[in-house]
Amino acid sequence: MTWETIATKDFRDAVQSRALWAIIAVFVIVSLLSTYAYVEVPEMLGEPGGATFAGLLFFTSGLVALFVPLTAIVVCYKSLAGERELGSIKLLLAQPTTRRDVFVGKVVGRAGVLAVGLGIGVVVGLGFGATLLGTLEAVAVVTFVLLTLVFAAAYAAIVVSLSATTGSTARATTLALGFFVLFELLWDIVPIGLLYVVSGFSFPTEIPDWVFTVTQASPSSAYFSSLVALLPDLADQVGAEPGLEAGVEVTTDSGPLYASPEIGLVVLVLWLLVPTAIGYYRFDRADL
Amino acid sequence: MAAIEIDGLTKRFGDVVAVDDLDLTVEDGEIFGFLGPNGAGKSTTIDTLLDFIRPTDGTVTVLGHDAQRDGEAVRRRTGVLPDAYHVYDRLTGRQHLEFAIEMKDADDDPDDLLERVHVADAADRKAGGYSKGMAQRLVLAMALVGDPDLLILDEPSTGLDPNGAREMREIIREENARGTTVFFSSHIMEQVEAVCDRVAIIDDGRLVAVDTIDGLRGATESGETLYVYTQTLDDTVVSAVAALEGVGTAGIDDDRLRVTVDGVSKFAVLHAIDADVVPVQDFSVVESSLEDLFVRYTNDPTDGEKEGVEP
Repeated sequence: MTWETIATKDFRDAVQSRALWAIIAVFVIVSLLSTYAYVEVPEMLGEPGGATFAGLLFFTSGLVALFVPLTAIVVCYKSLAGERELGSIKLLLAQPTTRRDVFVGKVVGRAGVLAVGLGIGVVVGLGFGATLLGTLEAVAVVTFVLLTLVFAAAYAAIVVSLSATTGSTARATTLALGFFVLFELLWDIVPIGLLYVVSGFSFPTEIPDWVFTVTQASPSSAYFSSLVALLPDLADQVGAEPGLEAGVEVTTDSGPLYASPEIGLVVLVLWLLVPTAIGYYRFDRADL
Repeated sequence: MAAIEIDGLTKRFGDVVAVDDLDLTVEDGEIFGFLGPNGAGKSTTIDTLLDFIRPTDGTVTVLGHDAQRDGEAVRRRTGVLPDAYHVYDRLTGRQHLEFAIEMKDADDDPDDLLERVHVADAADRKAGGYSKGMAQRLVLAMALVGDPDLLILDEPSTGLDPNGAREMREIIREENARGTTVFFSSHIMEQVEAVCDRVAIIDDGRLVAVDTIDGLRGATESGETLYVYTQTLDDTVVSAVAALEGVGTAGIDDDRLRVTVDGVSKFAVLHAIDADVVPVQDFSVVESSLEDLFVRYTNDPTDGEKEGVEP
C-alpha cells in the first residue's frame, strides 16, 4: 500500500504551513484566555453555579467546534485542487500508486496535521483549565480527545473531498467556505426555513421531530451530540443538551428534546464516509 | 514486445479535439522522439500513457499493461518527467527522492541520484528555492529511481541551459544503453535529432510522420537549398527562376536568391539561372536541416489556422 507513504509525505509538507500555525496560535491564545475567564468568572459565561471540570470540557468543545472547521479549511482546501492547479500531483501520480491511495493518503495526512495542531490547542487549554480548577477527569479527557480527533478527521475528509472535486483552488476555496457558512453558520436557520416552506409558507404551532434531527445534522452539532452521548454524566452536570453548542453559537428556541444524542455519533461517521465517497468518485474520474 | 502501443487514441476536451485517432508503436529498447509544435497534442498523449487523463476513444498499452486499467503496474516500471509539474516547495530535494524511492520500493541511494543530475549540493534545501533547471534535474532524478524499463520524458530540456541539455542527453543515452526504452517529447528538432532512433511528428492532434531521422530526411524532396548571389535581384528575377525546370521554390532571403532544387542537379539549375535569367556572382549550398523538415510537416498551409490545447 502506498497511501501510508503519501500520507507521510503530505503530513511533512502540510505541517509546515504558516497559516496552520497562525490559526493554532490563535486557538491556543483564545483557549487560554477564555478558559481563564471561564474558571475565574463563570457567571459571565452562563455558569452561575461556579466552574466545574465538566463545564470546562463542554466549554472547550464549543471552541473546538469553531476551530476544527476553520483549521480544516486552512489545512485542506488546497490539498488536491492546489496540487492539480500547480501540477505537483503529476509527481504523485507518476509513481506506482492509484488515485484511491493518493486520495486516502491525502485525507490521512491532512487529518494528521489537524490532529497535531488541535491536539496542542486542546491539551494546552484543558491542561491550563484543569490546573486552575485543581481537578482532572482522565477518562472524560481521553474520551473527549478521541471524539475530537474523529471530528477533526471527519472535517479533513469533508474539505479534502471538496478539494477533490475541482482543479481550481479558487473553486475549492468557494466550496469550503460555502460549506462552512451553510453547515456551521446558517444551519440553525435552514431546518426552520425548510419547515416554513413545507408548511405552506407559515409556521405550524407544533415543531415536528425531523426539524430537530436536521438541526443535529451539521458536523459540529453531531460532534456535540456525540459528546453528550459519550459523557452523559458530565452532560447532566452542566445541563448540556444536544443541538446546543456551548460557548459558540446562540441556541435556537430549543423545543422539546426528541432526538437521542446517540444519533450524533452516526451522523459524525456519515460525515466521515459520505463526502469521502463522493470526493473519491469525482477525483477518480477527473482528467488531471 | 512493444514498449508503448497506442491504438486509435482520441481525446476531446469539450469541443476541442486534442488528439485525433492516433496510432503509434514504440519498440522495446529504442529512443523515440515525439515531436510537434506547442499545443499539437504531445502532452495530452503522454498524459494518457500515465493515466493522468482518460481517452475519449482508443486504447493505450504500456509495457504490456493497459494504461487505464492497470496504471499502477505501468508506473512501477516507468520513470516519468512530466510536463507542467511543480515540485513540493516545502520539501527538500532529498525528501523528494526519498518519497520516490519509498513509492517504488527501490533501494537507490538518494545522494547517488542527486549526484548524477548535479544537484547534490542542494539536497537539503527546500525545493521551493530551486531554479527551474534544478527542479528539472531533481524530477529527472526521481524518474531514474528504481532503474525503470521505460522513461517517459515530456519536454526534458525545459529550463535547462545548453550544458544541462547535453547532460540530459547523456543520461538518456546511458539509460538506453542499459536497455531502457526512452520516449520523449520536444518541440525542438535538434534535441530529438541528437539522440533519437526514431521520430514521430504530431501536429494538430494528428500523426503526420513516423520514421528514422534519415528516413525523414529522405522522404522530403527538398534535400538541399541553394543560396545565390546575383547581380540584380527583384520579383521578376524570382518569378523567372521559379519557372525554371527543376526549381522547387524560389524567394528572396537576406539579399540572396533562395532556391530549392527538385530532381535535377544543382549545377544545371545554377547554369540555367546564369544563362537565362541573371548573372550569378556567388552561391552556397545548405543541406536542409531537420528543423526545415519539421516546419514543412507542421506548417501545411492548407491546414489554415491552428488552435491547439495543451492542458
